[in-house]
Amino acid sequence: MLISLNWIREFVDLPSDLSPKELADRFTLICAEVEDVTPIEVCADGLICAEITKLDAVEGRSDVRAAVMDIGGGKTVETVTAAPDLNVGDRVVFAPSGASVKALGAIKDSTVAGLKSSGMILPGDAVGIDMAAREAIFLPPSVQPGQPLESEVFDDWVIEVDNHSINHRPDLWGHYGIAREFAAIFGSPLKPYAVAELEELSDASLPEIPIEIDDADACPRYSGLRLKGLTNQPAPLWMQLRLGHVGLRPIDCLVDLTNYIMFELGQPMHAFDGDKVERIGVRAADAGTKFVTLDNVERTLPGGALMITTNGCEPIALAGIMGGAETEISEGTRTMLLESANFHPYVIRRCATHLGHRTDASARFEKSLDPNHTVLAIQRFVHLAAEEFADFALDSRLSDAYAKRLPDISVTIDPKFVARFMGHPVSREQITDILTRLEFKVSDAGEKLKVDVPSFRATRDIEIEADIIEEVARYVGYNNIEPGFPEVVVRALDSNPLQRIEREGLRAMVMSFGMTEVQDYIWYNSEWCNRLGYDPQNCLTLRNPAAAGMERLRQSLMPGMLSFGSQNRHHFSEFRMVQLGSAFPVDDPKICETRRLALLCGLRDKSAEDALLAELKGVIENWSWQVLDRPADFAAADANPARPWEHEHKTASIRIAGNAVGRVSAIPLALRQRMDEHLAAWSLVWAEFDLDPLANLGEHVEKLPPVPAFPEVDLDFSILVDASRRYTDVTETLSQFDDAILNRITFIESYEGKSVAAGKRALTLRARVGHKEKTLEESDLARFHESITTYLNGCNMELRGT
Amino acid sequence: MDLKQLETQLSVLHEDTIKAIVAAGSLDALRHLESGVLGKTGTLGALLGTIKEYPPAERGKVGQTLNRAKTEMTKAFKEAEARIKAGAAAAESSKAATYDPSLPGRRLPLGTFHPVTIVQMQVEEVFRRLGFLVETGPEMETEHYNFEALNIPKLHPARDMQDTFWMTNGMLLRTHTSPVQVRAMERHGPPLRVIAPGRCFRYETIDASHENTFFQVEGLMIDRHISIANLIAMMKLLLREVFGRDLKVRLRPGYFPFVEPGFELDMSCLICDGDGCATCKRSGWIEVLPCGMVHPNVLRSGNIDPDEYTGFAFGLGLTRLAMMKFGVADIRGLNGGDLRSLVPASRLTGPTVSAKG
Ligand SMILES: [Zn+2]
Repeated sequence: MLISLNWIREFVDLPSDLSPKELADRFTLICAEVEDVTPIEVCADGLICAEITKLDAVEGRSDVRAAVMDIGGGKTVETVTAAPDLNVGDRVVFAPSGASVKALGAIKDSTVAGLKSSGMILPGDAVGIDMAAREAIFLPPSVQPGQPLESEVFDDWVIEVDNHSINHRPDLWGHYGIAREFAAIFGSPLKPYAVAELEELSDASLPEIPIEIDDADACPRYSGLRLKGLTNQPAPLWMQLRLGHVGLRPIDCLVDLTNYIMFELGQPMHAFDGDKVERIGVRAADAGTKFVTLDNVERTLPGGALMITTNGCEPIALAGIMGGAETEISEGTRTMLLESANFHPYVIRRCATHLGHRTDASARFEKSLDPNHTVLAIQRFVHLAAEEFADFALDSRLSDAYAKRLPDISVTIDPKFVARFMGHPVSREQITDILTRLEFKVSDAGEKLKVDVPSFRATRDIEIEADIIEEVARYVGYNNIEPGFPEVVVRALDSNPLQRIEREGLRAMVMSFGMTEVQDYIWYNSEWCNRLGYDPQNCLTLRNPAAAGMERLRQSLMPGMLSFGSQNRHHFSEFRMVQLGSAFPVDDPKICETRRLALLCGLRDKSAEDALLAELKGVIENWSWQVLDRPADFAAADANPARPWEHEHKTASIRIAGNAVGRVSAIPLALRQRMDEHLAAWSLVWAEFDLDPLANLGEHVEKLPPVPAFPEVDLDFSILVDASRRYTDVTETLSQFDDAILNRITFIESYEGKSVAAGKRALTLRARVGHKEKTLEESDLARFHESITTYLNGCNMELRGT
Repeated sequence: MDLKQLETQLSVLHEDTIKAIVAAGSLDALRHLESGVLGKTGTLGALLGTIKEYPPAERGKVGQTLNRAKTEMTKAFKEAEARIKAGAAAAESSKAATYDPSLPGRRLPLGTFHPVTIVQMQVEEVFRRLGFLVETGPEMETEHYNFEALNIPKLHPARDMQDTFWMTNGMLLRTHTSPVQVRAMERHGPPLRVIAPGRCFRYETIDASHENTFFQVEGLMIDRHISIANLIAMMKLLLREVFGRDLKVRLRPGYFPFVEPGFELDMSCLICDGDGCATCKRSGWIEVLPCGMVHPNVLRSGNIDPDEYTGFAFGLGLTRLAMMKFGVADIRGLNGGDLRSLVPASRLTGPTVSAKG
């Protein structure tokens, strides 16, 4: 929100020795963040009011007109102007020849379109008001032609307060509330808010406006006043300039007044055409009600939207959001009904959100406004309007339906606790002083203090002791609090096993196995899935995806990894990537989010696939040892045809400690070609597995017995099996074999090729044998050989060429 | 054979053997020769076995003669062995003269952590040293943990600031790591010191400096007398450890529904050292650490009695930290697979010969 320092100075004297930047810094440190401080430097010199007495078209030019300007003292000048929307009789801000403003320099006589032009009707943007194309600044009838315009009102400083940092402070959505903080910051008094007296507005001889509120929660208070003797005229210059400085475009006096007060108190008001509105009703709309707002848009209302109605049920405004086109004030308006109401923040918010139509008014109502401001704003309006309109008069008495009173809030605080909570000494007197400056009422309550919260802070902002402590602490100054380390109770908390395995698991993949870590979005990209020929079913989906086609949460990390692989093949001839992340499978309704590791290794050599796959499996085995102290093994698995990255013949299930935790496979050529035809020349292998089932395995210790006293001997042997027979079958069989001197059997290699018959595979294994009490002799080895041969033959396995 | 004959035979054998030793060009040949002479069944070895065939009176003399021969030949073999080894070593050494010791090594694949993970691990390490537990929470959260339990009721304006990815199943993608605050309170009870790093999501348009997916680390400390002064001390310590030096910081009011009071902690801009530059929007300060004293309602959500315990909480943007640390200009590269945007070029390629920039 933009704040004009000129406006603030109306309510509080700011220290003259501080620059606007320094003022803003103090405000940032004590109250709310100032994002920007900008000067408005018009440097006006010699500007006057001038009245247009004659206005002629210029031949051959549609963009300018020739105007005769009354500049007072019976003098006129002729000027050629590009300002639109001018009429004879308008009074405008005029720069006679010799006057100057910073944006345009000194104004000189000139010749425009062949005509002599003296002086200039100043466009709004030359004086810091962002107006439509070169629009003039109109002056009210109280300003006489020739009257000099004070140059001070043009120059200002504007500070921009971060809206997020005042969302919880409805009182800061107006200049008066900001001024209150400045007053407290500098210890200077906050000047009283000049308003019309209540008695003046409560003339019993005037009629009362009938106001009916259906739901006091939705509309706790509705205040109204009829006014007459109004005319369509510009607002006073200072008001137009202040509005301009905070980013509003001046319209006319009535509209500007309501805006001005909204930017002063935070209280939105609405002006109805007095001839069109009699009785006021506040009620909920039926769903589907159509209503044309004053921006001439027909809107279909949600059920429960709060409406202002007249004469029974004729809707005239969308409460707290925008008035209706039908009852809008116009140029001819002479009487009006001024609405100043208080609405439930959620009711307004819900409707504005539903309609996608947030206005300055609705944004303020959403913040929980002080219901006491409804009447105060009307008092202020009367005070300011009476100065402007010659025939101004009341047409009703102040009518005020206060259906649901704001409860008084008081909070009891313990000064000792305040000091302890801050970790900084602060006295009872200091607390009282700070709170009093902020218009809290503080009274003794024994050892404690009773703090009455002013209504403008009581709508949501201040409720509990901690809220009061914040007020005290920020005024003590957060940066004056001496930092001090806490004294704590020592306590060993149970560590999070999933976190440990995530951290250790990732660390091992990167540090031990040379994987590069990547991260991805957690949703699928449908376009890419289509490319892969992958159509995941029953995914968890987003209601509001980042873009169309990104609704589905990933069930696997692999599609994303494949896209990364496809990207990197352009720049590298090999890569190995790891990703740690969440997946959202729906196969098991109890588990909807799992933590996974996914690996993808690529090498630009299509013949290396089996070797690369063996290497990746080796990575997983070693990873399992390093992270879990346990072996991993692989069981041949049927590829899931729905997941095209699972190779029909090369997919295995990864088993660790009895859990099937994931899959390892190669990317089949069919998919590589679909992804990117260059990948046909590559080998790509992958693995993906869940960490959750591994998190709670716990430590697994293997003892270290003494080394054998007598030497052990390694005996390598090869077994010839059908190529279709799985390694796991063979080892299952071999694990049953026992012999007195056998210590263990390990895998060496698997071979298919020239020296092995087609359809067969040779598995080379190594038996380590030894005896506890003696050195083995030839005869022992021969006997062992005999024994294993017999065993293998018994299991239909052939010992090869020994 | 008498002694005389034996001596003659030995002298021939000695002569032949020395000749053969001189001719032996390799250790293998030498060893072969040695076993042919000195081995049990070797020429000399066999003679040694014949001692007991001599009359007892001669045996002493015969033994002496044979042993002398054995000692001499053994010595000759030893010398020859030394000569051959020295020759081989000299040959090896002269062959290696062309070796370039300055050549780089042959590298195994070099793993690299994601930039965000690197700063995350650093932050975790700092807090582990301070006795904080590292906790986790789900990325898909309930409204309860993401909002209600954090004192953000339905329709609270603060929900605007947290543009949320909603799920069709009624859940949401967490908008911050703060849900772990209440989860940790429920899991452990007070007193408590935890951090919770993790991925968060905001429904917003992405560009070079905005992402809908990013990392934060949440911190929470609850004990009987935690104060604002404690919070400030711990936050200063955190920044010093993370940035490796003392930084000027300032604390100012900030509003977050789950803390009261809430603060924004600014540190002096790393780029301009506080003078003002584009990065800090000419203010000299960078907002790094939203924090505050845990709101009593949040403590209650976590079943902790706010009359007995107080605490502080903070959130640190890991993605932003990583961008600052590694000079990442475009945030989008961090959620992409192009390794060139994740790994410094010098780690990606072989040893650098020359490089630009
Ligand atoms: Zn800077």
